[in-house]
Amino acid sequence: MTGHAHKAGQFLKNGERASWHDETLWIVRQKRDKMARAVPEWESLREQASQIKQHTLSELDNYLIQFEQQAVKNGVQVHWAANAGGFNEIVSGIIKENNARKVVKSKSMLTEECGLNPFLEKQGVEVTDTDLGERIIQFRDEPPSHIVMPAIHLKKEEISELFHEKLHTEKGNSDPAYLTAAARLHLRQKFLEAEVAITGVNFAVAETGAVVVCTNEGNADMGVHAAPVQIHCVGIEKIIPRMEDLGVFTRLLARSATGQPVTAYTSHYLAPKPGGQMHIVIVDNGRSQHLGKEDYRNALKCIRCGACMNTCPVYRKSGGHSYGSVIPGPIGSILAPHTNSKKYKDLPFASSLCGSCSNVCPVKIDIHDQLYRWRQDLSEKKIVSPGKRATMKVAGKVLSGSRMYDLSGKMARWGIKNLPRMFIYNRLNVWGKGRELPEIPKESFKQWYKKTHQGKGGKNGQE
Amino acid sequence: MDRNKILQTIRKNKAQAAPLPKTFSTPEEEPKKLLDRFKEILQQVGGECFDVKGAENLNLFVEEHFPGAKDFRKKETWEKYPPGCGKEELSQLGAVILEAQFGVAENGAVWMDESNFPNRLVPFIAEKLVVCLDSEQICGNMHTAYSRLGNRTNGFGVFVSGPSKTADIEQNLVLGAHGAKEYFVVLF
Repeated sequence: MTGHAHKAGQFLKNGERASWHDETLWIVRQKRDKMARAVPEWESLREQASQIKQHTLSELDNYLIQFEQQAVKNGVQVHWAANAGGFNEIVSGIIKENNARKVVKSKSMLTEECGLNPFLEKQGVEVTDTDLGERIIQFRDEPPSHIVMPAIHLKKEEISELFHEKLHTEKGNSDPAYLTAAARLHLRQKFLEAEVAITGVNFAVAETGAVVVCTNEGNADMGVHAAPVQIHCVGIEKIIPRMEDLGVFTRLLARSATGQPVTAYTSHYLAPKPGGQMHIVIVDNGRSQHLGKEDYRNALKCIRCGACMNTCPVYRKSGGHSYGSVIPGPIGSILAPHTNSKKYKDLPFASSLCGSCSNVCPVKIDIHDQLYRWRQDLSEKKIVSPGKRATMKVAGKVLSGSRMYDLSGKMARWGIKNLPRMFIYNRLNVWGKGRELPEIPKESFKQWYKKTHQGKGGKNGQE
Repeated sequence: MDRNKILQTIRKNKAQAAPLPKTFSTPEEEPKKLLDRFKEILQQVGGECFDVKGAENLNLFVEEHFPGAKDFRKKETWEKYPPGCGKEELSQLGAVILEAQFGVAENGAVWMDESNFPNRLVPFIAEKLVVCLDSEQICGNMHTAYSRLGNRTNGFGVFVSGPSKTADIEQNLVLGAHGAKEYFVVLF
């Protein structure tokens, strides 16, 4: 009925794929567990990371200024963008100034958020996403379905078909090593031709002006070092105070994301290469407003590891595209409503509130509490769908008085047993779509308790 | 203009003061343990490790095992591939030999910066990467690694842990996505 539920239904139509998706992400979650358990101080590391971020968010203006000063001292050109439009203009301005036409870009959720690719393409700039997963979805003209594994929704046969069409690989050859080798050759050419390289940023260090980018493929470095102009795009919340804080975050990031002890490359860019240009674009796009919402502020601590997605039973069984937001999964569901609460009103409900997301989060964001809070806020503001609102109203009445509750229980027990199936499983019962009610007991707990504990126990059943 | 707008909104909205936590540290382990751990993890991340046990054995070993490799520990190789040298030329680099400054036991990473290569592309564009590392220069984890680096602000530096890799096709691990396909550490 709602956007997410409907799109999840589409995803689940292919049962085999949905099961594969579910199992594969669970394996990544298990790899994460193995890594976390191998580090005895894991829990204090999470706490440290959370506190560093907490502190940074309380001094964000000062750290941004310090970061800028250091970067400028290193010979970097620093730009500020209040919103997506301003950001796109700045990047396109740098490209134009350099008379560039060919751009390579490594993974950056921020550029996804701002719609940089379509903006540049309209101006005749060729933008090539160089992360293998991102190149695959760019060929398919679709958004990433996961922030760390962008093409996790696709099977190798589909990628083989796609590469056959785009890169003229052998038809029917879906060997991942073969397909990766073909992409390597294709992208090597793009790296050598590119005039500008764009990257996202994992961490920006105030103390030294360094921007740190973590990749496994080495695509950020191939782009940055081959092109004369490098542009790093960083959200204001990516700032950390000191170099030593990188020790904390680099220990947490890859272990949480993919179950690796660290990414293959952890690159620290401080100054432009000899004869080159280095730009850093600091982007707000709603973050400073989000900062003012105390109950939701913690979400700005996110380091984009994706662990909450891998563990989420809803994400695993509905796929990233079902969320319809730039960042899917639990963290996406608490971030997206800040940008547009009407459009993303159903996302806080796309959760079982099991709390697993909060348990794996390396910076201890209270994700499931925020999901719950969003539900309340959206209901209060009457932003939830009319069906959900009506159900909640009835439930509120029934659950707030014991007479009403007892009566409803009796009616339900009788009804479920005796009414024809269509009375129970119909359009109005969204819950019953794809679910069966359990067998209904003859009596309620209250009736059973009275019968078996007669005379024993106090008012609340205590001796 | 945007700068001031952003900073003003942050000042209005930022959280209550919270202290910056003290430096995180862990007890340092004994060197022998660190060396063993480094070797073990390096294999797990797809690298291959040799221990020639002594600087005097290094050059002979490297020459025998990696014939034809461009050795960036030598001045003449630096001169051949200066910062401004052509990308096409660099892309012809087959195997390269570099010296790393130190290693990290917990993740098999080594640290290199601009003092270890003349052109920033070298460690990434080579097909085969051979790293020489003094076996006494291995620290326990990333905390000790960063305390070792301090605030050194070389223009570019990198931790490398294993060969370039991807699992973007159905989570199948493939080595050699864009950077080195093969990765070796020679401990001396």
